Amino acid sequence: MFRLTALQLTFLFATLAGAQTLPPELAPPDGADTPLPTVVRVPTDVILVRGAEPSASDRVTPLPEEGGIVKGVYQNRYLGLTYPLPADWTESYKGPPPSDSGAYVFANILPAASFKGPIKGTVLFSAQDMFFGLTPAENAKELVAYRREHLEEYYDVERQPAEVTIAGRTFARFDYMSKVAGLHWVVLATQIRCHTVQFVFSSRDPELIAILVKDLDRMTLPAEAAATGGKGGGDWPLCIAGYVRRENIVDAVEPVLKDRKFNPIPVRIVIDKRGKVKHVHVLSAFPDQARIITDALMNWTFKPYLVDGNAVEVETGMMFGAAPQRRKPAASPAVTAAKTED
Amino acid sequence: MSRRVVPLAVFVALLLPLQSFAQTDPGVRGGAAGAGQPLASVAANNPANSLAFFNHGLEAFEDINSVSGTVAGEPDAGLGPRYNSRACASCHAQPAIGGTAPALNPQVGDATADGAQNTVPTFITSTGPVREARFPFFFNANNQPDFNRPNGGVEDLYTIAGRVDAPGCTTTIIKQPGFATAQATNNIIFRIPTPTFGSGLMENIEETTLLNNAAANANNSFGIAGTFNREGNAGTIARFGWKAQNKSLEIFAGEAYLVEQGVSNELFTQERPLPGEGMTAPGLPNACKFNATPEDLTNFGGVGEEVTSDTVAFAMFMRLLAPPTPSTTVPGGATSINNGKALFSAIGCNVCHTPSLQTTRSSFTPGLNNVTANLYSDLEIHHMGTKLNDNVSQGNAGGDQFRTSPLWGLGKRIFFLHDGRTKDLVQVILEHNSSGSEANGPSFNFFVNLTTSQKQDVINFLRSL
Repeated sequence: MFRLTALQLTFLFATLAGAQTLPPELAPPDGADTPLPTVVRVPTDVILVRGAEPSASDRVTPLPEEGGIVKGVYQNRYLGLTYPLPADWTESYKGPPPSDSGAYVFANILPAASFKGPIKGTVLFSAQDMFFGLTPAENAKELVAYRREHLEEYYDVERQPAEVTIAGRTFARFDYMSKVAGLHWVVLATQIRCHTVQFVFSSRDPELIAILVKDLDRMTLPAEAAATGGKGGGDWPLCIAGYVRRENIVDAVEPVLKDRKFNPIPVRIVIDKRGKVKHVHVLSAFPDQARIITDALMNWTFKPYLVDGNAVEVETGMMFGAAPQRRKPAASPAVTAAKTED
Repeated sequence: MSRRVVPLAVFVALLLPLQSFAQTDPGVRGGAAGAGQPLASVAANNPANSLAFFNHGLEAFEDINSVSGTVAGEPDAGLGPRYNSRACASCHAQPAIGGTAPALNPQVGDATADGAQNTVPTFITSTGPVREARFPFFFNANNQPDFNRPNGGVEDLYTIAGRVDAPGCTTTIIKQPGFATAQATNNIIFRIPTPTFGSGLMENIEETTLLNNAAANANNSFGIAGTFNREGNAGTIARFGWKAQNKSLEIFAGEAYLVEQGVSNELFTQERPLPGEGMTAPGLPNACKFNATPEDLTNFGGVGEEVTSDTVAFAMFMRLLAPPTPSTTVPGGATSINNGKALFSAIGCNVCHTPSLQTTRSSFTPGLNNVTANLYSDLEIHHMGTKLNDNVSQGNAGGDQFRTSPLWGLGKRIFFLHDGRTKDLVQVILEHNSSGSEANGPSFNFFVNLTTSQKQDVINFLRSL
């Protein structure tokens, strides 16, 4: 259920490379130290002791956090999108792991050394799992509208939220600025598989942002991507918020957490056409928690979900542990026309 | 142009010229300390006797501990067998008692005080920060870090061996930790003291307030999404310490008394060996244990405020300490400071460093009751990435997760970040940039999107706090 991450590989190589003979001058000066024949150093800049982290029940099913940049193109199999980075822009640092409120940072993008423009800027490429967000919004359009409604007093609106078309798909767009900083922001968001996928451009130069926005047309996006759509289906499971309810469950034994139990643990599951859980994605949990929850959920059974009389796969989310206070109860099912089999 | 991911080192090299240190940290703000006084209501002795409790706590905070309380001028008993320093106020001293690491490190003198026979580790210097040391991993039989056995506990610098009040406790029976080996294997990290001014206000912020603040900041444009550290029994939000690992001031005080000075107390009732010490060996030698436990306890014969244990007195002193007073004009003038404050919010620093939170009703004193705490922290823990990672887990906080440091009093601080690695605020902001950091967005805004003048305004604002 756990994957060997790039970071772990880095550590492995760093550890192997770090073995060396201890120089005589480093012989321990006090009684508690004893000379070392060789030294394995704790690698610098590698996080070995982790907190809550993502995991999954299998190594095959794509996960949102596995996207990455290859030859200048960000690719995310889970979301079915590709984003060619603008010319002379590059990824800086990797983002943090998914948060316990379902927030992802896919990439922080900055001008490369070859960038010739007089004014620079930044691009944040991120996503919010709409099953777990703390903001009362059902989709990308509502999330952007909420941002507008709650825009801090030190920003000024430059363009009210509106739907735009990018790469053939609808996005919600919102522009604002800070006068004191002389900075402009453009937020562009669309929804895929019940995730709001978001670009945030910031720069002192609106024309630079305009170029970057125009460049987004080179993206490829799944057909379902839309400011108010993006609810799965077709080749993907249908994503339904709040589907884990008593009336939909046939058989479920609650996982019992042991030592740690007070951290919020968001979990996405995929339920197959027969009602069996076929995939578990724990966004944020300690390894022992993830193991207990995954083992339990893989034995859960639901009533098959029907659309027009045909059973379909369903993707939904649930929280374990002590969840943070939310601003609203779990959203109602996204596909109201569908029903479960009695 | 090739659009590929640049290696980390190359990116850092690219980033450095961007900031090029054209803006400068003016350094520790001069003038009065602006800290160390009681809350105004306590100064007015409201409620009655609260000022006496504050002053009693202050005295206890300053008292130097010896092993048995028999050394002249060192009245409190309980020091050791292992310790980092001998009084709370020796380390919590800048810019006033209750603060953080002072300019002159008392730990150099602590090594040999009263006849102690300790070697000063190379990472402790007279002008460096006060430090406690931790080994992220236990060592295996070959003295190599064992990556399958995380440690992370405090390795006290010193022992009482050789002290005039520790007869029979010698360096042959109790030894300092193997710091040289730890340094050679890079298996060591450091922590400096957190300032305690205004901590009673921090203690008195409702969980609902913290959760609402987190929710209000959730839909930010900077890629920030923190969480809370929660204590393991009742599950409520913890908030003190570098990783918010301690729930209350009393727990914070009791743990520090034991860990930093070796004084067992009513919260932590046994003497403390090093992490792992006692698993395969007898642990602390009896010849170095001189007192019945707990060494700090309620004074049954005391009157008024003197009935409390030191631990309770420490907690009350910290609780009743007023928050630091910022400057409106220094450094750089009011215009620069105000501009910097606005920029600080505009570029997203305020998402974590929440400027103010409201306290709830308090039973202690009106100064803690329904007031605005300008702490500049959300009291959440955030991933700070590979540069600040220390590979120490505390509670729910992993190796790279740290509580948002409250910024009040920043202008008077000498050493920054959890290990005191720098005195330069520009460097501090740069350290927020690394792989896995939630703070990349705001710090990129600082270095990439602000002008040199604007950056200077932000630095001036921070030094005004």
